[in-house]
Amino acid sequence: MTPLPDTLLEAVASAAVREGLADAIFTRLSTPIGRLLVVQGPNGIVRVGFEEEPEDALLAGVAAELGPRVVASDRELAATRDALSAYLEGEESMLDLPVDLGFVHAPFRRAVLETLHDTVRRGEVVTYGKLAERSGRPGAFRAAATACARNPVPIVVPCHRVLPGSGGIGNYGGGVARKRVLLELEGAL
Amino acid sequence: MTATAPALPPFWSLVEAHGDELLAHARRLAGPEHAEDVLQDAFLRALRAYPRLRHAEHLRAWLYRVTTTAAIDAHRGRPRESPVAEPPIVAVADDVDADGAFEALIAPLPEAAREPLRLRFVEDLDYDHIAGRLGCSPQAARQRVSTAVRTLRERHAA
Repeated sequence: MTPLPDTLLEAVASAAVREGLADAIFTRLSTPIGRLLVVQGPNGIVRVGFEEEPEDALLAGVAAELGPRVVASDRELAATRDALSAYLEGEESMLDLPVDLGFVHAPFRRAVLETLHDTVRRGEVVTYGKLAERSGRPGAFRAAATACARNPVPIVVPCHRVLPGSGGIGNYGGGVARKRVLLELEGAL
Repeated sequence: MTATAPALPPFWSLVEAHGDELLAHARRLAGPEHAEDVLQDAFLRALRAYPRLRHAEHLRAWLYRVTTTAAIDAHRGRPRESPVAEPPIVAVADDVDADGAFEALIAPLPEAAREPLRLRFVEDLDYDHIAGRLGCSPQAARQRVSTAVRTLRERHAA
């Protein structure tokens, strides 16, 4: 059986976006830290998944949050793809992409990720304790760590820039090796 | 989304799982030169109707039906969208059998014979796909269609 041509799939996705029929758009991207799945909703990027994360479950989660009309398009997300590729290949860009943290339902966790996104720039790091304090709850470093561990948009919301106050590199949802690569890329290590 | 809304899978997972066979279906119905246009139209019709589906069953059969309708409309040269609004409760591509003549013809047969006949002659599937739908081997699928055709002949000869 002939596989579906990419041109047909892109044409369907583009028409869907044009007609307002897409609840979310996703794209798969090969990068130096492995394949990423990036999902964009109406208000920005809602999910970034590393290649270990089962794609079916990730997209089912998106469908549950935003609606089932989830389509794939490299073309519609070309700007996002270019920005992420350039960033992960070491260009000194700031990765200024729109983010939608609507999948984070716990208010404090959401505040932590918003604070992280807004205040910790490339090349900088912050401790979990300091991030909790900046987010309005000094001492809540465990909750801040949980927020980072469950960050639905890693890389774009830079949880790799959050380190334990006790020293060391700490944990990372995408694995410590990736955290180290990202921090080295940014010149923070 | 309301609590009663069915948990529909992400649309693109259906496209990626069934797109190849739907293109083959479109090619059989509309010919190679029109197949891609028909399938593109079918996917967009399906997307428009998708959030309104009342259940998440038989989605593959529903996509076959939408594709069949798109092929028929392309052939007629006029758009017609309403029949795609709901998936069939059972996997029957009844747009091909719009006047019900085929169903009436096979009505006297047991369901075990009717289903292989629908898959073969209404949905126009090959034996590999009929086997997939019936959960048997392609040889067994061929045998079941053949037996059903013979039963049908005997029934109408009697």
